[in-house]
Amino acid sequence: MNEFVATVVRGLGNGSIYALLALGFVIVYKSMRVISFAQPAFMMAGALLTGYLVLSMNFFVAVLVALLLTGLLGAVVERLALRPMIGKPVFVIAIITLGVDIVIRTVVNSFIGLDIRQMGDPWGLRQVDVLGAKIDQRHLATLVTTLIVVAALFAFYRWSRTGLAMRAASSDQEVALAQGVSVGRVFSLSWALAAALAGLAGVFLSTGIGLEQNLWLTALKALPVIILGGLDSLGGAVVAGLTIGVIEALVGSYGDNLHPVFGGDFFLVVPYLLMLLVVLVRPYGLFGTREVERI
Amino acid sequence: MSIRRGIAVALVAAMAVLVGCRNDAPETQQGGSGVKFDVGVTAEPCPAAVDKTKGCIYLGSISDLTEGPFKALGVPITESQKAFWQRVNKAGGIGAYEVDVTKYVKDNKYNPQIHNEVYSEIKPDVLGLAQTLGSPTTAAILGDLKAGGMIGVPASWTSAWAFEDVILESGTNYCFESMNSVDFAVETLKPKSVAAVHFPGDYGDDAAAGTKIAAEANGLKFTDIPTAPGQENQGAAIQKLLAAKPDLVILTTGPTEAATIVGGAAQNGFKSPFIGTSPTWNPALLKSPAAPALTALYRQSGPWAPYGADTPGHKALGESINQETFKAAPNDGYTAGWVWSYPLKAALQKAVDSKDLTRAGLLAAVKSLETVDYEGMLPAEAGRFSGEPNERVFRGSIISKVDPTAPTGVKVERDFFTGKTAKAYDFTKPCYQ
Repeated sequence: MNEFVATVVRGLGNGSIYALLALGFVIVYKSMRVISFAQPAFMMAGALLTGYLVLSMNFFVAVLVALLLTGLLGAVVERLALRPMIGKPVFVIAIITLGVDIVIRTVVNSFIGLDIRQMGDPWGLRQVDVLGAKIDQRHLATLVTTLIVVAALFAFYRWSRTGLAMRAASSDQEVALAQGVSVGRVFSLSWALAAALAGLAGVFLSTGIGLEQNLWLTALKALPVIILGGLDSLGGAVVAGLTIGVIEALVGSYGDNLHPVFGGDFFLVVPYLLMLLVVLVRPYGLFGTREVERI
Repeated sequence: MSIRRGIAVALVAAMAVLVGCRNDAPETQQGGSGVKFDVGVTAEPCPAAVDKTKGCIYLGSISDLTEGPFKALGVPITESQKAFWQRVNKAGGIGAYEVDVTKYVKDNKYNPQIHNEVYSEIKPDVLGLAQTLGSPTTAAILGDLKAGGMIGVPASWTSAWAFEDVILESGTNYCFESMNSVDFAVETLKPKSVAAVHFPGDYGDDAAAGTKIAAEANGLKFTDIPTAPGQENQGAAIQKLLAAKPDLVILTTGPTEAATIVGGAAQNGFKSPFIGTSPTWNPALLKSPAAPALTALYRQSGPWAPYGADTPGHKALGESINQETFKAAPNDGYTAGWVWSYPLKAALQKAVDSKDLTRAGLLAAVKSLETVDYEGMLPAEAGRFSGEPNERVFRGSIISKVDPTAPTGVKVERDFFTGKTAKAYDFTKPCYQ
């Protein structure tokens, strides 16, 4: 039982990281109808900035400053690389985000260097006893922080004027413009939020052993998450992220009897299988908006 | 078809045939010293020649240099090999030739398809490959290497290389290295069970196969725990270790995965020793939260002694590479790149002595090597490339322990030895295919 609890919490910890990344994808998609492939780069940038800032300040302050800077980077990228492309085919813009990802990651990698960069986080590999189960502190910290961030994000969208403007722009850009909403500002803010969320995911992913260049690959796990949850659903991103994290952990720990058929790393494929199964039944994901098209 | 169109088609076909003939049968030339050569050798000096009167032997390097998972190894290996050949050139080169390993350096991003593409680019210009990094990547060009009789120095240690004439490997492979690790533990730590925690593929599965063979030979209970790359993917491997409670763990992963597993298992009270194959280690891990666990529980096996060991070869390496670069990111990739170059140097020398520096001549020279002077970094008999794999394969390896004061964080605990399992093993096929 203790082992089961530890597995679930580990899954929730990893799932929180997927959820943070997926939220960024969804926020950009809601505002611009584009999937931003630059999320891995922002994830790495946030972690790298924290790794540098922590050398001269408290870890938590370093994270806050790093996320602000990463958000700023996201807004700058949107203003310089994406805004001029408004009106162009969505596919073209998506490819530009891919280019942005490569450029930023190349710069980030040069700062990470060949070795592993330490984050100076207070959790390390330490564990805490919860109901008899040994739980990694970093997984708990990731989960709790994600829940707080998600609550704040939902409150922002629900009750703030800017959040309302973002929802309006997401619903219909022309109507929002007519009502005095600065759609350009919404785009910038969306990219800033998405970048900061990815940065936070990068920070938590690097706690424990540290930041290395290959960590960006984890960001790709957010892709089945957003398809599963629904491309335009913030709630869906959170639920799908946590679900995939937990299922992945459970299959990894208890799916040994699947190995002879599917191989030793079957748990890595599970998110994609789950995505395929859900898409077969609900093409717009679990919580995505069904599009109504005139034919 | 009009006559004009017919002539055009015939001309194109003729050109294609001519181009094909040119590639298939490169022209053999003869240098001033009476040495015949075909591809990748010129009578003109190398671009950065020490002696402008000498010809040039061009060797290609295909490594993981920018964004692949083994960049931390690929970059120092490549730098080390440049330093090795620069030292050779300064010492007079190979007969009437110097060696260039700087003009045809390509990045494979650890992707077999890219590896194949860049190989095709440089193939017409190089005599052989001073480095072909990775097992799956090298496998992607192996057929062509064999067809063209072109020699490649692998930057990997999978047991399959011993069965390939065109592959010029050095040191023992993951399979024998793991057998020796288990035998070492049986002698010193008296385990009753062993687990192999490993990546899938030529690297991890080759080591796991060796671990299993040694476990069976020593009557140990064996547990196989495959795991995927990525820090966040190691939770299941840790849980399986805790459940199996082996007395010994042989690790064949990347460095961050190793630290996550050793540190995570130790946090849960796991106290059995770990022995990791050489690519598992990175000295930067000693700055991570897993450092205490690694210092207490971890040993590293290896095909040769780490950087800083007391041999003439190690000393020459230290004197030849940029020390500032090394100290910024100390890594035994430098050591590996240096050691791997010795047999190629010996083969080139033998080919020049035989007045045949063609690809076929170099291959014949390789197959006639009985010993190689590794300047003490490996025993000379490790450089035997003639005979059957079972007779010639080098089976000795080294065990090091963590020492934060050592240049790359590990220091030799037991020098070259061959355990009883490796000694008795009938090596008639690769441990993992």
